[in-house]
Amino acid sequence: MPNNPKAVDVVIVGIGAVGGIMAKQLASAGLEVVGLERGPMAEFEDYASKDTIRSITRRNFDERVRHEPISVRQREGAPSAKRFTSTPVNAVGGGLAIWTGSATRFMPDDFRVDSNEMQAGVADKARADLTGYEIRDWPISYDDLEPYYERFEWEMGVSGDAEANPFAGPRKKGYPLPPLRQGARNELFGDACARLGYHAHPTPNGILSEAYQPPAPYDTRIQERPACVYCGQCNNYGCHVQAKLSSAWTSVPVAFETGNFDLRTNSKVFRIETGPDGRATGVSYFDPDGNVVEQRAKVVIVASYIYEASRLLLLSGKGKRGLANSSGQVGRRITAHGDVRYTGIFDDYIVNGFIGPNSGMRMDDFNGNNFDHAGVGFIRGGTIGTSGGGTPLERYDAIPPGWPRWGEAYKEYLAKYYTRQADVTSHPETLPHRENYIDLDPRFKDEWGIPLPRTTFAFHQNEHKMWAFLGEIEQQILREAGASEVWGFPTNRASRWAGGTVMGDDASDSVVNGYCQSHDVDNLFVVGASVFPTMTGYAATPTVCALAYRTSEYILGASGLF
Amino acid sequence: MTTISFVPVALTRRQAALVEAAAARIFPTTDTPGATEAGVVNYVDRALAEAYPGLLSLYRSGCRALAGESKRRYGVDFLKATPDQQDDLLTAFEAGRVDGFPKAKEFFGTLRDHTMEGVLGEPAYGGNRDLVGWRIVGFPGHQYGYEEAYINKVVDLEPKAVDRPYPTKEAWNA
Ligand SMILES: Cc1cc2nc3c(=O)[nH]c(=O)nc-3n(C[C@H](O)[C@H](O)[C@H](O)COP(=O)(O)OP(=O)(O)OC[C@H]3O[C@@H](n4cnc5c(N)ncnc54)[C@H](O)[C@@H]3O)c2cc1C
Ligand code: SF4
Repeated sequence: MPNNPKAVDVVIVGIGAVGGIMAKQLASAGLEVVGLERGPMAEFEDYASKDTIRSITRRNFDERVRHEPISVRQREGAPSAKRFTSTPVNAVGGGLAIWTGSATRFMPDDFRVDSNEMQAGVADKARADLTGYEIRDWPISYDDLEPYYERFEWEMGVSGDAEANPFAGPRKKGYPLPPLRQGARNELFGDACARLGYHAHPTPNGILSEAYQPPAPYDTRIQERPACVYCGQCNNYGCHVQAKLSSAWTSVPVAFETGNFDLRTNSKVFRIETGPDGRATGVSYFDPDGNVVEQRAKVVIVASYIYEASRLLLLSGKGKRGLANSSGQVGRRITAHGDVRYTGIFDDYIVNGFIGPNSGMRMDDFNGNNFDHAGVGFIRGGTIGTSGGGTPLERYDAIPPGWPRWGEAYKEYLAKYYTRQADVTSHPETLPHRENYIDLDPRFKDEWGIPLPRTTFAFHQNEHKMWAFLGEIEQQILREAGASEVWGFPTNRASRWAGGTVMGDDASDSVVNGYCQSHDVDNLFVVGASVFPTMTGYAATPTVCALAYRTSEYILGASGLF
Repeated sequence: MTTISFVPVALTRRQAALVEAAAARIFPTTDTPGATEAGVVNYVDRALAEAYPGLLSLYRSGCRALAGESKRRYGVDFLKATPDQQDDLLTAFEAGRVDGFPKAKEFFGTLRDHTMEGVLGEPAYGGNRDLVGWRIVGFPGHQYGYEEAYINKVVDLEPKAVDRPYPTKEAWNA
């Protein structure tokens, strides 16, 4: 491999959900695009494996995650520990290789927590203690993203019922596909919610309920894919029929077809290069043989997910602060959902939780600002729904407290109740807090000698109050559904990260603008959930994909970049 | 008393026999097969050789402690103790109440996890022989898909394990 391949128009770091879409959009417009992905190409056997030992029990031993630890600690001053995380999955397609598929747009109010809740008195009325939190509005609105949400849904194929959720924002078009077939746990959840007066609806899913190919005016070059067959080994597994969307079988093949996309796998970027004028000149990476290669480009796009977004900026630039960090905000304002999960067992109802889809029904009655917060002691909330993970290796520890955990009685328990249990869970929003951030670990390095991204992260008072509240609702639903035993508890297990390179209008207080463009370095873009000023009570994918479309369009229209 | 019918690669024969006996109490044979029939010890031995070599020393010291504690309490080897005595010993390990072996709780927790992996994992890893684990709990294994939602209904499909996924139903079921 040449040590300095010829300069191109655009280099994209990471070909996951965002990188795939941007590669397709930019290469289709005639730009010469190089994609650098630290993982391998998607191999069907790996992606679609239904091997539970490999995908669940030994996931941290997986080639895909083994090389990329992060480090974690709960507070400043505490020692950090190395951790593996499957997000992102290091392969073309990123997290989409094994995602669950729930694909809900954020709500219009989610973009304005500061004005709607802080300024308008909701926080006071709630008697929420928000000391330490750093809450800002988004510089863009739901309306700004609406057309791009639509493009994501129609190009990638999202199944849902546009009428079913009264809290959803307005939309010009419905979903391209009807909701997925609902299973027993969704019926239990939906019926219980209906009796309780909650608005349960089928979760919009990035999984095809029918065979689908995007119609015009969407990108008709995307291949047709078949419908989901409800195998149920979905969350944490790849899809053997490709009904679950991934860049690997939507955006990436189209990007290749343009002839303008050069994808280099097993290529790990470790620095963004800059010139004397401070503009980005390209990136440096380790090629598969470990050689350092510099790829020059007119525009650099960082699409490498949370940890790597902050890490790369901190590793780059001339000063101690890193690149694009005149605000000092790189790495700051990270958030992640906690885990508030309750399980119920049913004496006379067979749930068969191993049948797909994994994410079936939701309700948003206690999400965002959708309910009266008077006196509850917190602001915001989370979506509440059924959850997946139904194979026996994911369930053998789902035992009511105090019941035997081994021996004959335990065996009888599993034999009876493995097929008769259901979880209700939520995505409780976490607000950015000044004690939570990513920086470079001073001690731990990866195999290439590069400092690990270190998360300093703990949940704080607003989250703890919210978890207790949401947990009550989840238990109420399970009891109403007829569970004979209900148990669970909130845990500090953090997932669905956001923040670290937050967007804003004020260059002294944010890293990128509303187009994901660095305030400091005009030809540097950071695209992904790392730009979210607040997280919301949903998962991120539709929104990061909408941002990918919108930023691509902006790059193509901007002057002075090429 | 158990006799180990294969040549272990990570464990000694003695350790393998102890693991098998303990696993048989964790997931016992009743009117349905248990850990023994599932081949848990096979699974554990291979897992220690291939995936969890770092846990081998825990197994070594755990087996020694199990045997030692049985001798101390009951004057017999663990393999010759009655099922009730074995259960009491394992209960003490689970609670971390074993003098001179501070890792008792960790050992029990690991052994329990590995036993269940051996009962409920893919047969390709050495356990879940004849899919006995999946049959007991009612998991039909790797199905290509489900043509109906089986709402409040027993899934009466023959369990299946495929070593690799196939994109079509014909290939999957071939
Ligand atoms: C098990 C699981 C379930 C999920 N379920 C849902 C869900 O139900 N709903 C939802 O909305 N979201 C879900 N997600 C999250 C979803 O996968 C992410 O939101 C999405 O993939 C983010 O897209 P991205 O492009 O920002 O990052 P990713 O898709 O993660 O892609 C980032 C890519 O960058 C590469 N990369 C990173 N650093 C470098 C580097 N230095 N050099 C080169 N390449 C690099 C990575 O290998 C990766 O391929 C789930 C994720 C997982 C793992
Ligand atoms: S449940 Fe459907 S989308 Fe998920 S892996 Fe199975 S077939 Fe694919």
